[in-house]
Amino acid sequence: MDPEIALLHNYLIVGAVLFGIGMIGFFSRRNMIVMFLCAEMMLQGVSLSLVAFGRFHNDFGGQMLVIFIIAVAACEAAIALAVVLMLYRRAGKLDVIVWQALREDNQPAFEEEALPEEPPAEPWPSLSRAGLSPEILPEETDFRSRL
Amino acid sequence: MDTIKTLLILIPALPLAATLLTAVLGKRVLRRQSHWPTVLAIGLSCAASLVLVFQVQQGIHKAESEGPSPQVGYEKVVTLWTWAGVDGAYAYSTSEPARGFRIDVTLRADPLTAVMLAMVTLVSLLVAVYSIGYMHDDPGYWRFFSYIPLFVFSMTMLVSVSNFVLLYVFWEAVGLCSYLLIGFWFQKPAAAAAGKKAFLVNRIGDFGFALGLFLLWTTYGTLDFHDVKLAAGGEGTAATVVHHETEIVEDADQPGLVRAGVLGQTMLRDRALYVTGGVATAICLLLMLGACGKSAQFPLHVWLPDAMEGPTPVSALIHAATMVTAGVYMVTRCLPLFLASEVALQVVAAIGGFTALLAALTALTQTDLKRILAYSTISQLGYMFLGLGAVTLLSAAGAVAGMFHLFTHAFFKALLFLGAGSVMHAMGGVIDVRRFGGLRRLMPTTHWTFLFGCLALAGIVPFAGFWSKDLILAAVGEQAYSHALDPQTQRLYYLLYIAGLLTAFLTAFYTFRAFFLTFYGEERIPREAGHHAHESPRSMTVPLAILAVCALVVGAYFELTHGFAHFLEQAPPLAMIAAEQATAEAGAGLGQSAHQALSHWWVAVISSLIAAAGIALAALLYLGHPQRVERLTRTLDAGGLYRLSRGKFFFDEIYDLFVVRPLQAVASLSFLFDRTVIDRLVDGCGLMPKRIGAALRPLQNGMIQFYALAMVLGLLVLLGTLLTM
Amino acid sequence: MSDSQLTFTLATLLGAVGVWLLLPRGTARGWAAGAVLVAIALGLGASRMLRLEDWVADGVFFILAGVTVVAAVATISFRDPVLCAIWFGLSLLGTAGLFLFAGAQFLAVATVVVYAGAILVTFLFVLMLARPKGRATWNRSSWEPVVSAATGIVMVGVLSMTISDVLALRGETGRPIVEAAETAGDRAEGVLADQHVALVGAELFGRNLVAVEVAGTLLLAALVGAAVIVARPRSEAQEPPAAD
Repeated sequence: MDPEIALLHNYLIVGAVLFGIGMIGFFSRRNMIVMFLCAEMMLQGVSLSLVAFGRFHNDFGGQMLVIFIIAVAACEAAIALAVVLMLYRRAGKLDVIVWQALREDNQPAFEEEALPEEPPAEPWPSLSRAGLSPEILPEETDFRSRL
Repeated sequence: MDTIKTLLILIPALPLAATLLTAVLGKRVLRRQSHWPTVLAIGLSCAASLVLVFQVQQGIHKAESEGPSPQVGYEKVVTLWTWAGVDGAYAYSTSEPARGFRIDVTLRADPLTAVMLAMVTLVSLLVAVYSIGYMHDDPGYWRFFSYIPLFVFSMTMLVSVSNFVLLYVFWEAVGLCSYLLIGFWFQKPAAAAAGKKAFLVNRIGDFGFALGLFLLWTTYGTLDFHDVKLAAGGEGTAATVVHHETEIVEDADQPGLVRAGVLGQTMLRDRALYVTGGVATAICLLLMLGACGKSAQFPLHVWLPDAMEGPTPVSALIHAATMVTAGVYMVTRCLPLFLASEVALQVVAAIGGFTALLAALTALTQTDLKRILAYSTISQLGYMFLGLGAVTLLSAAGAVAGMFHLFTHAFFKALLFLGAGSVMHAMGGVIDVRRFGGLRRLMPTTHWTFLFGCLALAGIVPFAGFWSKDLILAAVGEQAYSHALDPQTQRLYYLLYIAGLLTAFLTAFYTFRAFFLTFYGEERIPREAGHHAHESPRSMTVPLAILAVCALVVGAYFELTHGFAHFLEQAPPLAMIAAEQATAEAGAGLGQSAHQALSHWWVAVISSLIAAAGIALAALLYLGHPQRVERLTRTLDAGGLYRLSRGKFFFDEIYDLFVVRPLQAVASLSFLFDRTVIDRLVDGCGLMPKRIGAALRPLQNGMIQFYALAMVLGLLVLLGTLLTM
Repeated sequence: MSDSQLTFTLATLLGAVGVWLLLPRGTARGWAAGAVLVAIALGLGASRMLRLEDWVADGVFFILAGVTVVAAVATISFRDPVLCAIWFGLSLLGTAGLFLFAGAQFLAVATVVVYAGAILVTFLFVLMLARPKGRATWNRSSWEPVVSAATGIVMVGVLSMTISDVLALRGETGRPIVEAAETAGDRAEGVLADQHVALVGAELFGRNLVAVEVAGTLLLAALVGAAVIVARPRSEAQEPPAAD
C-alpha cells in the first residue's frame, strides 16, 4: 500500500468526521455562538481534506484554498459576531429559536419544552462595560480587603 | 429612374410623409397649422397624377404612331422590391416544377390607374382645402389632418398596385381609414357604433374577397396582375416585368420562363387561358362579394348611411367619391375574369340595378340631408355596377360608361356632400331637412353650387351626370338588344333597363326634394344655429365652386371629345374587349354601329324627359302647398309603402333579427360555457398550487437549522443516488 | 457487504446513538454511556484507518486525529459555551498538528495564530459580554437532537465508506485506480520542500495574487460592515443596556 494513499485516506476520513460533527452541532445547538463554532469546525474538516489532496497531488492549490478559507472565516467571524451582538441586544438572549420571523404567517412558532431548573453554574469571569466603574461583588470586596 | 416610375412612387409617398409628419408634430408643434403638410402633399400628388395622365397619354400616342402594337392596351409596371416569397409553394401540375409564392411590390401605370389617381387626388385636394374651414375649431384638428393623407396614401396605392395581395392590403387600409374617420368623433356613441358597423359589414365582404383571392391562387398559381419573367435560376430569384410599355420583352432563348399574370398580356392575348365554368363563376362572385361590401351594394349596403356620422368632408371624400368606388375599380380591373363567366356578369348587373332602385326608393322619404345623399351614393354605385354588368366580349361600352360615371359622380357627389356640409356648418350641426328651409338668400354660393350638383345628379343636359348615366342606360339597352337569341337574358336586361330609367326618375325627384326643402320655402333656421347662420368661409366655398364647374364641364367635355373613352379603352382589361370587338367587326361587317348611334339618341331623350318629370314632380309637391305632400304621404302610408321606404326597407331590423340576435344568442351561450366550464377549470388549475402550497407550508417554519438540515438531507439523497448507481 | 462497509455501518449506528446521548437534552443522564459509545465508534473507525509508513507516523497521526475528533465531540456536547469554545480551541490545535504532519507548516502556524489566537478569543469576548445569569435554557437543550445526530452521523458514514471504497478500488491490472502521478522525489521538491514558506509565498503572491487582493478587499468590507452593524445611532445609545 502506497503510504501516500494511506495518508490521503486517513486525512479524508478525519476531515469527514470533523465536518459531520460540526454539522450535528450546527443543527442541534441553540446558542448562536456555539453554532458559529460548529460552522468553523466544518470549515476545518474541509481544510484538512484540501491539504491532504494538495499533498497527494504535490500541488500548493490545496494550501492556497485553505489560506483563503481562513481569510473568509475571519471576515465571517467579524460580521457574524457583530450580528450576534446586535441580536443579543434586541432579544437579550443568544437563543437562535427567538428568530423565527421568516416562517409562513399561519405557521405556529416552535415552542421549547419546559426544562427543570438547575442550580446556577459557577460564574466565569465576565467583562464589565467599558467606561463604567466596575460592579464590585461582595465576595470580591472580601477578596480585596484581604489584600 | 424614368418619369413614370418617379411619379408612381411620389404620388403615394407624399401623402404618407404628410401623415407621418402630422401624426408626430401635429399635436404639439403644428396645432392649428396641421393642414399645411396635408394640403401641400396632396396638391403635389395631384399635380403628379395629372402629369402621369399625360405621360400615359404620350405613351399611347407613341405606341400608336409606331404602328400596330404587339401589346393589348397600354401598361407599364415597375417593381420596387420583393416583399415576401416562399419557394415551391404551389404545385401547378405534375409536369411543371412547383411554383413559388412571391409578393413583389409592384406599381402599374395604365389608363385606368391614371384616371383613378387623377380623380382621387383632385377630389382629395379639394376636400382637404374645404376641411380647413369645416374643421377649424375641432379639437381633433391635427388628428383629422393625419388621417386624411393616410387615406389618400392607401387609396392611391389601392389603385396603382399590380398584385392582388397588395390590392387586398390597401383594400383593408382604406377600410381602416374609413373606420377611423367615421368614428372620428368617437365620444359620440352613434359615431363609434357606426364605425364598428362599417367595419363589421366590410369584414363580411372582405372575407369573400379573401376567399376569392385564395381561389385565384389555386386556379392560376399567381396573384400578380402582370406577366413576370422568371430568372434563369427558376423560382425565387428576382423577377422582372416582361411587358414593358409597348414592347414585349421575351427572352428568345427561354420562352417558357414567363409566368402569366392573372391580368397579364399573355392571358389577355389568348383568352382561352382563362378557366371558365363553375370556378370562374365562384371567383367572380367572391370578388363581387368584396366589392359589395366596399361599395355598399345590396345586401351589404347597410353601413354606408350610418357612416354619415363622420365629419362631412369624410363623407364627401371617402363615402361618396373615392373609397366606395374601390369595388367598381376592382371589378373593372378584373373584367377579363368576369368575362369568363356570363352568370357572374349578370349577377353584377342585377345587383347593381336592384341596389340602384332600392336605394333610390329609400332616399325618397329620408329627412336627413346627408342620408339622402348617402342613399343616392348607393344608388349611383349601383348604376356603375349595372354598367359593368352590361359588358360583353364584343362591347366594353358598359365598363367605360361605369368608369365614366364613377369619374363624374366623384365630382358632383363630393360637391353635394360638401354643400350639405356647408349647410350643416351654418345650421350649427343640424342636418334634418324638416328643421330648416329657404336658405337660398342666406347662403347664395352654397345654393348655386348645390343646384349644379343636383342637376348633375338628376342627369340634366349638359351636366356631367347626364352623359355618364346616359351611357350606362344605353349600354344596358344595347345589351338587352344584343341578347335577342336568349329570351331569358334579354328579359333580365330589359328589366334592368327599366329599373335604371325608374331610378333616374326617382333620383331626379329625391334630389330636388332635398334641394327645395333646403333652399326654398319660407326661411327657417334651427335654434342651434344661433347667429352663426351665414355663408361659409372662402376655404369652403372655393372648393365648392371648383367642383361645381367640374360638375358642369367634365361630362360634356370628355363625352363630346370622346377623350375619356378613347383613353380608358387603352387600359388592358378594356383593350382586350376592344381588340376582340375589332376582330369581330372586321369579320361581320358594320351592322351594329348605326343601331348604336340611334339607340343612344333615344336613350338620351327618354332619360332627359324622365329626369325633367322627376324635377317637375318635386317642384309640384315641395314648392307648392305642404298639404299636398301630407295628403300623398297619407295615401301611400295606407298601403304601407311610405313606411317601408321611411324605414329603409327595414334592412337593419331584418339583419338584427336574423343575424345579430342569433349571434348574440350564440355569444351568450359561449359566455355561459366560459363561465361555468372554462373558468371553473382555470380556477381549479389555480387552486392546485394553492393546495400544494398549503400542504408544503409547514416546511417554512423560519428555523435556519431546519433549513440547513433540509439542505443536507437533500445532499444525502443525491449522494445515495450517485453511490447506488 | 464488505468488511469495511460493515465496520463503518456499525460505527455510524453507535456514533449516532452516542452523539445523541452526549448532546445537551435538558438532562445530564446517559452522558457516560454516550461517551463510551462514541469511543467505541471512533475505535471502530480507527480500526479501518490505513497504516502509514512506520509506527512512529502511525502513532503521531492517531494521537493528533484522536485529540482533534474527541475535542470536536466535546465542543458540541458541553453545555457551557465557554467550555465549548475552549474545546474547540483544542480541536483547532489538533487540526494544526495534522496540518504540520501533512507538511503544511505555514498553515499550521496560521491556524494557531489566526483561529486559536484571534478568532476564538473574539468569541470568548462576545460570550463574556453576553452572559446570562444562571444556566440559560438554550444552552441546556438542543433542537431536534435525534434527527440532527442521525443526519450528521449518516453523512459521516456515507462519506467515510465512499472514501474508503474509492481509494481501495483496483483496476484490471491490479493497480489502484486512484494513484498519484507524482513520486516522492517530486514532493520533496514541491509541497514537502525545505523552503516551504518561500514556496507558499511565491505561490500565494504569484499565481494567486488577484485572489489575495480580493480577499484583502473582502476583509476591509467585513471590517466596515461589522463597524456599521454594531455602531448604534445616538438615540439608541441613551437606552439602558438590555437586561437579561
